Formats: sequence, C-alpha cells, structure tokens
Amino acid sequence: MPLTIYGSPFSTCTRLVVLICKEKQIPFNFVLVDITKGEQKAPEYVDKQPFNKVPYIDDDGFALYESRAIARYLIKKYADQGTPDLIPSDPQSEALFEQGASIESFNFNPPASGIALEKIVKPLLALRTDEKTLEKRSVELNEKLDIYDVILGKQKYLAGNKLTLADLQHLPHGTLLFTNGFEDLFTSRPNVARWWNELINRPAWQEVTTYFNPVA
Amino acid sequence: MVVKIYGHAIAPTVRLVAGGEHKTPAFKQFQPFGQVPYIDDDGFILYESRAICRYLAKKYEEQGTLNLVPKDTKGEALFEQAVSIEASNFHPFVSGLASRRLLRSCCLNTEERHQGMETDETKVTVLLDNLNAKLSAYEVILGRQPYLAGEYITLADLFHLPYGTVAIEELGYDVLQDKPNVARWWKEISSRPAWQAVKNGA
Repeated sequence: MPLTIYGSPFSTCTRLVVLICKEKQIPFNFVLVDITKGEQKAPEYVDKQPFNKVPYIDDDGFALYESRAIARYLIKKYADQGTPDLIPSDPQSEALFEQGASIESFNFNPPASGIALEKIVKPLLALRTDEKTLEKRSVELNEKLDIYDVILGKQKYLAGNKLTLADLQHLPHGTLLFTNGFEDLFTSRPNVARWWNELINRPAWQEVTTYFNPVA
Repeated sequence: MVVKIYGHAIAPTVRLVAGGEHKTPAFKQFQPFGQVPYIDDDGFILYESRAICRYLAKKYEEQGTLNLVPKDTKGEALFEQAVSIEASNFHPFVSGLASRRLLRSCCLNTEERHQGMETDETKVTVLLDNLNAKLSAYEVILGRQPYLAGEYITLADLFHLPYGTVAIEELGYDVLQDKPNVARWWKEISSRPAWQAVKNGA
C-alpha cells in the first residue's frame, strides 16, 4: 500500500515531505487536511498528531509526524533510489550534516517563519502584523544569512561539498519569502545567491510547486 | 585523546554537551555564528549542541548509557519525531523564558529596566501559555509511553534538560502542575546521575 501523506498545500512542512517524495521518486497518496476549516483540530486528527499540526504520514500502518523526521525516515528507507546521499553515512560527514540540519532548525527557521507569519500569513487571515516582531526577526535573519555567506564561501553546501537534506530543509520557508518580496535576502549575498539559485531550480522542487498548483 | 569542549559553564547548551570571548574573530573561525559550544575531537571541529551529542552518542555507542540513538528503522524514526518535537514545541518557549533572565540581569538604567520589565511580563505570559499548551500534548504522549520516543530513554528526552532546568527549576515556572505524566517523566530524566553531575559543575 503506498505511502499516504495527510497535509495541506498551505503548509510549508507538508511541502518538505512532498519534496522528499519527489527527490526519492516515492509514490504517495495525498489526503487533504483543510486547515482553513480547522480540520487538524478534530479529535480523530489529534489522536494521530497530538500537536494538531500538519503533516503526518501513514506508511502501511506506521504513523509518523514532524516533517523533518518524516524526511529522514523516507530518505533512509529509500536510500537506494532517487537523489543519493541526502543523509551521509560516514561518521564525520554525518556529523557535519547534523550540524547543517541544526543550523537550519535553530538559526534559519525561527526568523524565517517569524517573518512569514507576520508579513504573509497574518494579512491573509486579516490579522494585524506586529511590526516590532517583524523588524526583530528581519534583523535576525539578515545577521544569520551574513554568516551563511561566509560558510558558503568556503564550501558548496551547508554540510560540505555535497547537497544534503540540510540544504533542502530551507526550501519551503525560503521560497515563501523569496516569492513574497524578500528575494534580496538571498540575492544580495553572492554565495547565498549561488546556493539558493541552485536549490530553488531543482526539478524536484519545481515538481512540488506544480503538484500543488497544476497548470491547466 | 580527550574531546575538547569550548564553551561557558552557564550556557544551557554547553551543559547539554558536557558538561564575549565567543564573539571574537578567533572563536568565529571555529563557530561562525559566535555561539557556544563547539568541540575539537582530535582536530575534527563540530558545533550545534544537538549535532555534537548525536556524534558523541554514535561514536561511543558501546559504552555508558546505551541506545541513546536507536538504530532500527521504526525506533529511529520515532526518535527523530521526538527530537523534532523538542525543537519545535519545547525549545522556542523555554529558551525564550531563559533569555528573560538575562534581560533582568543586564545593565539597563531604571527607566529602561522598567520598560523592559513591562514588555517582559507580557512576553512571559505568551511564552508560558504556549509552553503549557504544548505540554498538554506531551501529557497525552507520555500517558501512552514512558519516554518521548517510546519505551526507552533517548537523546530526545535528554535534549529537554538544559533549558527545561532553567525554566522549571531555576526560574520556578510551574508548568508541571495538572500534568502528572509530564511531571513523572521530568522527575525521572532530571534526576539522572549524569545530569546531576553536570549541574554540580563536573
């Protein structure tokens, strides 16, 4: 029975899971959880995902949530197909991958998702943007990306000279910002620009966009 | 050769690994974000405390506490789920509360300190509301299984200790009341001899 993804097109975390399926050529069924109607808060959903977030997967009866955990599980299960080596296996390369993944989770994601919340999501929900928080998060993300530019001046990708999941983890929120008026975060820094340009043009990521926005 | 840990004793993330200098160019050669800690393992440099923990747990998997990172497919996946739970649902709020402590103790004038304290209280309320809501989900999970990843303790549980200790024990935020499963789990992980040794400055 193929993998089932329970998620939402509006969810950046859902898009990461679909990206990994595209990178690793994993067939899947998609079940829409309508977060605009609060379906993720229904008791039967919360039973599967106690934090009432999307996505979660059901892989032939094995349920898993947290998009980065799902990504890791799928990459390891389908190690022999699709894009190789997204998680290295030799100890030092693996450690540097973990360092890169942690950089994304703790240095990039908080300010990037904070900006997205204030500047993109809240207006869509007719909620007021907190300008102080937006300013604070913008300063923070700019400082972090200055450091990314140093790192990416010495090596091609965040974990070394090979692409890993750590790089791919940046795509959902990064693209949300890139396509909503924040492109200069990426384009104004030469090494970040080089790295970002490669990531955003990956065929698998283009397929994710098409999947959720089919062209007639 | 002994692993060298570069850090500061009060920083929660250093306690996780071990047990104004970090902003210098010399330090940033090794840790470009100017954060603590980083390690030097016989010339191999690594930063990000959770990455360091994973590296050491795997390198020394045959000794000390076993199976801190499960290796079977499903056990590992559930471990990664638990690690991500801590990163998204616990860390942002407890680290926010911990940083309020620094705000109180830094050198501001009276007016700045008053203003800081007012916004401080609003922010603390928001952080606590969020943390309590997340810990309600933990209460459900820990009612079904003893640890966050399942039957056995893993790194995912231990990752909660540094900032959790600051918020719950040092700052005294009572987020365990009405959550007996979380309280049981917290008592167990926080009373581990290894963590007691780190707290006592080993």
